[in-house]
Amino acid sequence: MTRDLVARIGHAVLILIVLVVILFPLYWMVAASFKSADQLFRVPPPWLWSPTVAGYVDALANSGILRALGNSALVVGCAVLLGLMVGAPAAYGIARYQFRGRKEVWFWYVTNWMLVPVVILLPFYMTAVKLHLINNPIVLILVYQVFVVPLIIWLLVDQFRSVPVALEEAAQLDGLNRFTIFLRIALPLVKPGIAVAAILSGIFAWNDLLYAFVLTPSDSARTAPTIAMAYLGGYSVPWTKVMASSTMICAPVIIGGIIVHKYIARGLTLGAVK
Amino acid sequence: MSQTPIKPEYKQPWRERLAPWFFVSPSLVLLLAIGLFPVIYTGYYSTFNWTMGFGTPSFAGFGNYVQALTSSDFGWSVLRTLILLAITLPIELVLGLVIAFALDSAHNVWLRRALQVCLVIPIAITPAVIGLLAQLMFNQQFGIINYLIGLIGIAPVDWLGGSVSAFATVVAVHIWEWTPFVALVLSASLSTVPTDIEEAVMLETDRWWPRFKSVILPYMWPGITAALVFQTAFTIKSFGMIYSIAQGGPGTSTMFAMLQIERTAFRGFNIGLASAESILMLIMSIVLARIYIRLFYTDKDD
Amino acid sequence: MRKNHRRLAIAGTALLGLMFSGSSLAWNLKEAAQPYKGVTINVVGLERPSYKAAQALTPEFEKETGIHVNWTTFPYESTLKAETLNFVSQSGQYDVVLSDVVWPVTFVDAGWVVPMKHFTDNPKLADPALDLKDFFPVWLASFTVNDKLYGLPFDSYAGLLFYNKKMLADAGFDGPPKTWDELYNYDKKLTNKDKGVYGYVLQSAHNETQTADAFARFLWPWGGRFLDIGQKKVMVDSPDSVAGIQFRRKLVKLMPSGIVSDDHPQVIQMLIQKKAAMVTEWSSFYTTLKQSPIGDDIGVAVEPKGPKKAASAFGGFAYMVSAQIPEKKQNASYLFIQWLTSKEMAKPLIEKGAVVARRSADTDPSIQADNPYLKPMVATWEHSTVPDWRPQLQCYPQFSNIVSDWGSRIEQKRLPVKSSLHDMADALQKYMDSSDCWAHANQPEKYISKYESKSAQ
Repeated sequence: MTRDLVARIGHAVLILIVLVVILFPLYWMVAASFKSADQLFRVPPPWLWSPTVAGYVDALANSGILRALGNSALVVGCAVLLGLMVGAPAAYGIARYQFRGRKEVWFWYVTNWMLVPVVILLPFYMTAVKLHLINNPIVLILVYQVFVVPLIIWLLVDQFRSVPVALEEAAQLDGLNRFTIFLRIALPLVKPGIAVAAILSGIFAWNDLLYAFVLTPSDSARTAPTIAMAYLGGYSVPWTKVMASSTMICAPVIIGGIIVHKYIARGLTLGAVK
Repeated sequence: MSQTPIKPEYKQPWRERLAPWFFVSPSLVLLLAIGLFPVIYTGYYSTFNWTMGFGTPSFAGFGNYVQALTSSDFGWSVLRTLILLAITLPIELVLGLVIAFALDSAHNVWLRRALQVCLVIPIAITPAVIGLLAQLMFNQQFGIINYLIGLIGIAPVDWLGGSVSAFATVVAVHIWEWTPFVALVLSASLSTVPTDIEEAVMLETDRWWPRFKSVILPYMWPGITAALVFQTAFTIKSFGMIYSIAQGGPGTSTMFAMLQIERTAFRGFNIGLASAESILMLIMSIVLARIYIRLFYTDKDD
Repeated sequence: MRKNHRRLAIAGTALLGLMFSGSSLAWNLKEAAQPYKGVTINVVGLERPSYKAAQALTPEFEKETGIHVNWTTFPYESTLKAETLNFVSQSGQYDVVLSDVVWPVTFVDAGWVVPMKHFTDNPKLADPALDLKDFFPVWLASFTVNDKLYGLPFDSYAGLLFYNKKMLADAGFDGPPKTWDELYNYDKKLTNKDKGVYGYVLQSAHNETQTADAFARFLWPWGGRFLDIGQKKVMVDSPDSVAGIQFRRKLVKLMPSGIVSDDHPQVIQMLIQKKAAMVTEWSSFYTTLKQSPIGDDIGVAVEPKGPKKAASAFGGFAYMVSAQIPEKKQNASYLFIQWLTSKEMAKPLIEKGAVVARRSADTDPSIQADNPYLKPMVATWEHSTVPDWRPQLQCYPQFSNIVSDWGSRIEQKRLPVKSSLHDMADALQKYMDSSDCWAHANQPEKYISKYESKSAQ
């Protein structure tokens, strides 16, 4: 009995420590967004202070952050949708069929995942210029597929595998074709996996800085993370404003992550392809 | 765990044989267009002496590769990246495993739920913002970290000013950023261990290690390998966080491969050399991915 | 008969045109912009006060001309990357391009920008009130390549000494130090490491700040220099240069060890927090400091003199017209640049926090009264400025990377100064020789006299 109690306390302490370590920087960011520069740099730091919303007022007033958030939402939404449209069938194909070249196909996805961004940045830029796509969200939607598609496939292969084959065989006997089976039977059963794949790939797309900086630089086309970085070149970093913008940039992603967290245990199993 | 496909490939009608390609080809075509095509282009650039805005490109053969492989700047930056990988990977795997087991335990339901929610947070914060935040928190003069360690009597550390300490700061931030993600992946793969088998073994031995090694680990290999491949890619590709912490400094002590390539390409504008360096990095990361998959996906569960 | 008639008409219009262009009363922006109504021009800006001011005033220009102005703002460290990509890919993304004082030779040698003469010779475009002589000569010289002016200065800085009057007075000093040796004595007296108080701190981050602020600042006043372009020789290890960098080491020993990673914001913050008594920073910081809690205690003076000469940091920008865009857009772009850098706009710009290189505004007593930084800034530009504070090289970016790497290492690791500078010189020499950099170097100081004689007329 006491041994169990000790285990429970130890377990609680461990989790609390991890929670504090994870949450403290987040707290610090949000707190900083409500401090004046003077409070921000005071040593020892004030744990209680009269909060200021000047950072938010400032950020909302003149940095175009709302438009940037809108741009990011559009780009990430479309990128994930496109990724799911091509990725989900591919994952199904790999999960359900044994075919020549299957391993190579899978490795090709992994290779794309490993792709160092600068490798494709310049050619992509040059091509986008020729097609008059600079500052057009389409170019980001396309380039993000390089990591969105592999991630989605990787996550979904295992999900499709865990769908009982018997279910599909029954449907096949009913005369449904393979694509209909995929669409009507398999796909609805892997919803948690899809939610996780969408959120995770969305997070990585949302947080991209390197591509966005080069491909959609104009004030009207830029994405949210580039806004936070823009202050860095200033001679004086307006920390309150930076932290306020950062909080606004991260908030949608964190909320999205929290919404799907309960699926993650089921949706994040990453399987092997043999 | 492994599912048999509906029918073996041989003796299938041609329609059935084409069926997988019907599912797979849209993604293949898309990735060939936006993944392979630019890589070929970069390979082409890498054979030219080309500095942007500086005369016309001239053919260089393998000159850029020779320069990249013999230059100490690039060599060191790759070595730094590998050291970062070698330090952070094991720490993140072990800590991730510990957290995954903590999540798997039966104790403290509410705390576990809270932790599961919070594990998503670090990856949800834009890396560049993490770097900015680290700059603020690790500042020698005003930073909260020095204040906190001061409370327990440790003298303020000059985190970002020394070569070793700046590197250590990057390591610490990297671990904060990625351990929760590794924990999520491992926790998911831990949940694939069938409970009946686990319980059966529990009756045989209550020693933890043999149970882990013989029963749990085999189910976790795919997850561990995935975590390895993911983390390797994230570490090699990492740019925003590292750049915004210290811009590669002081000196060149946090100049990792991606920063070095970005600098060659967009600060020195030597596109030929940067392309060669990129291709070398790509080869390196593919080789690493191959090694992991060879080592850990060896048909363990067939 | 009919033919004659037409001829007469042509002559008449020509005469009319001549009359209009000849008379300064006839030119006005609205009419000059008439053909470009509805044109959109894309302007590159930075996240700095001068561009905020310019953006705030831009609607006036749009209203007057019907030209639509589209701003794209970058962090400094990404600006050259964005502009170079724009030019190399011929994408025509930007019409009004921004040039740092070290970039003109790159832009000009690659044929990316149009000489100003192309526009100033066109009576339909050139405002008779343009008055080039009103710009400080050193600023025009800095954007002159092969004897041609390529841009009009905007957002122009001088390095200045900012200090906390009260801290200096409390330590028994009745004024700012005039020489670096004096500054060192002040520093020794003011620094109290145990209390975390420092006499002087130097922004040294591993990027352009290391090159332009932390390294160059200790070359020139000691008589050192980066290059001898005539001899094609790197000079960072000359005895004068070594003396300067050795002096820097002396100062760095009195600074917090984290200084090698501190950039502009950190040292400014230390000054505001009264953790530092003196910094040498760009003039553009005055507004930030004035609005801080120690605003009333802030003093501003010319940077200290070195043992060999008075030489202060020199940096800033100019606007140029892209050569890769249609003529219509080029002309509209020029009109915008001319308007933004005009005498007339200088005052409203300064009031909104911009720094400009217009003599008439910078020396206007009523403006000076509100902006105490102007006096030392003007004095710097007139007496202690080095136009090639950082060398104007086409391969400057990589050059600066090498300087920054070594400069940061020397500052941080306590490497022996002399031999490290020698190694740095070797690395630079090797790069300069192997990359044909010497052939694409500009020496702006030789054009100063040209503009000075002009202004003397």
